[in-house]
Amino acid sequence: MSSPGLQGLRPWIIQRVSAVFIAVFILYLCLVLVINNPLNESDWSTWVATPYNNILLGLFLIAVLWHAWIGVRDIVLDYVPNVVGRLVVLTLVACTLTGSGLWGFKALFMVFFK
Amino acid sequence: MAVSDNRPYYLNLVKIHLPVTGFVSIFQRISGLLLFFSIPFSVYLLDLSLQNSTGFQQAQSILQTPFVQLVSLILLWSIVHHLVAGIRFLLIDFDIGLEKKPANLFAWLVFLIEAILFVLLCVGIYL
Repeated sequence: MSSPGLQGLRPWIIQRVSAVFIAVFILYLCLVLVINNPLNESDWSTWVATPYNNILLGLFLIAVLWHAWIGVRDIVLDYVPNVVGRLVVLTLVACTLTGSGLWGFKALFMVFFK
Repeated sequence: MAVSDNRPYYLNLVKIHLPVTGFVSIFQRISGLLLFFSIPFSVYLLDLSLQNSTGFQQAQSILQTPFVQLVSLILLWSIVHHLVAGIRFLLIDFDIGLEKKPANLFAWLVFLIEAILFVLLCVGIYL
């Protein structure tokens, strides 16, 4: 096990569980957008500030970031042959995803202080 | 080693004849990669839209610029393909559509369903 978390059954299962959650949440989001069409600012922030939706959005963000990490990691391992290249690209990917996650959580949290 | 042995070491996706199932797979990767690149920008729009009414309007006007409209169209296709092809991959995990014939049929079905979904969504969003 030279690279824990990078291979094996666990990421395979996470990829599938997150996929199902993402798919169901996107259907829910589409439904909300259809019901509230056209979307206005107060309806939007009220919807996001509802605790139930806020938690689901947070979970959605985690699911998307994790799903993206496993998917992009597979692509990088297939197309970047050398170790240094892999390390550089995977670090950039991880930083992008972590940064997006922190930024997204800040946005979801700050909606309660409007 | 025989002189005539000039088999390629790497698969050139343009040169080889990819079966329809192969196209579903490679598009799954391409669409996934495009969606990955859209994550920071999407989070930026989420943050902007939740700040105040000015931010919400700014986010709306960004989404209405021609360049962003074109990009969102590509991303819309990416989501639709990734979703429909993803469902097919989950079915394969349950040994559904695993044999050669059903696999080809399911792959064509993926493209058919995603084309219909994409057109319906475009009509719903832009008209």
